[in-house]
Amino acid sequence: MKFFLRQTAALVKLSFLELWRRNDVFALVLLALALMAPLSMATPFGAAGASRCLDEVALLLVWAFSLFVSIGAGQRLFRPEFESRTVYPLFSKPVSRTRILAGKYLGALASAWSALALFYALFTGSALLRGTGFGAALPQAIALHAAFVALAVALSLLGSLVMSASANSTLCAIALAGMFFFGRRLPDFAAGAGGIVSWLVRAAYAIGPHAEFFDMRQRLVHGWGAIDPLAFAAVLAYAAAYTAALLCVAAAVLKRKRL
Amino acid sequence: MKHAAIFCAAAVALAAILSRFPQERFPQAVRGEGALAVAFGDARAAISSAMMRKADGYFHGGVDAECGRLGEHHHHHGHHHDGEEADCGDGHGKDGSAGGGLFDPWAWIDAHVRAPDVHRHLEGKDSVEMLPWFWASVKADPHNIDAWTTAWYVAHNMMKDEDLSKRVIGEALASNPDSVEIALYAGRQLYDTANPDLDAAAKAFAAARDLALSKCGGDLSKLSEDERRMHGFALGYLEKIAERR
Repeated sequence: MKFFLRQTAALVKLSFLELWRRNDVFALVLLALALMAPLSMATPFGAAGASRCLDEVALLLVWAFSLFVSIGAGQRLFRPEFESRTVYPLFSKPVSRTRILAGKYLGALASAWSALALFYALFTGSALLRGTGFGAALPQAIALHAAFVALAVALSLLGSLVMSASANSTLCAIALAGMFFFGRRLPDFAAGAGGIVSWLVRAAYAIGPHAEFFDMRQRLVHGWGAIDPLAFAAVLAYAAAYTAALLCVAAAVLKRKRL
Repeated sequence: MKHAAIFCAAAVALAAILSRFPQERFPQAVRGEGALAVAFGDARAAISSAMMRKADGYFHGGVDAECGRLGEHHHHHGHHHDGEEADCGDGHGKDGSAGGGLFDPWAWIDAHVRAPDVHRHLEGKDSVEMLPWFWASVKADPHNIDAWTTAWYVAHNMMKDEDLSKRVIGEALASNPDSVEIALYAGRQLYDTANPDLDAAAKAFAAARDLALSKCGGDLSKLSEDERRMHGFALGYLEKIAERR
């Protein structure tokens, strides 16, 4: 057990360091500051005091950046190693492929979560400076967002094993952003479409990654408060089940992958 | 990176050159000068409408106004969500029942995570939260009269901020000197107050009436339905002022 933990910890550390060495997160933080600073100084029609739109834009940026980081983190776990052939010495070690996958996934997840923590620290700090409080809804929103990141990293990791880097990044972004914005409307689209399109949309609704479940932005911005504990637990369970399923498929793909 | 910079510079230069051409040569829905108007064209009207919807959502405490949950709700700020029942009529309630009566767990989760438990509206000074979206709307399309008038209503009737509503209607008039509706609202700014300036209000309503008449050459049937209605309102206000005197 101790050996297993030490192996996993080494893999986690490697993945974690890689994200922070790339400086992606710092670039995103600078971009966020460049976008938010002029917005925070704007006084529409000369009226001051509107803060909800700032919170909304800031949260949208947090979501967009976390999606970028998550997909990138999952994407870079195996694909560059296959391309540079550094995967051969890794696989020659007395560590199973499943354990390598688990360790790398946990490392990517830790790095993506650390970036998310930084984004939320900045968001919460700026909100507190403006005198906005979120109550119990904020910890829930962060927890659900973290669950979404776990799902997104797993999806990106699986995609990186079965398709090229650019295709994987694009498809993951389309799938997750598409579900985030339109997931709840898919039954309407299915009802409006006919024939095979309707069935395809229904299938996407049934098995697609429902990113919209994790979105508590409107609750935070408009002060609706925390969500029902049962629903909260249901979303976490959904994320855990979906992520586990993705990782199982990824493990099976990696095990059968011919180098 | 270098190619992207060259491409962006070329795009901006092209937009700047095109903006110098007479506007009649470009069938834009959104009139305006400058590179932005040329570059975005019709998209500006769509963006402006989207910003209006966002402001409407804020009025409802963040609820997407197109969602059928709001039903046949009519605002006290005088407009109605067209087609709101059609857009979101998936039949998914909080109990997660789908249209056919089957339990839909996804709909159940979504309803509990996103949907509000109460139906509430912004009121009083809190209504300032809508203004950034109206501002964005009129920046995208300065000729979106509905955005100007709704922003004025929010400032004047909901926030009770005379100075703010005066600034809004002043900017609206500067951007839309030929709008009968804006001219009418300029009159309302002077009339619908605790201490109305009846002379100035009468002048403003007369200006709105005259603007409508000048646009149609005296034949009201040539006016749009909205402009005819505004002309009627202007006459109504003029009658009220005459009675008060």
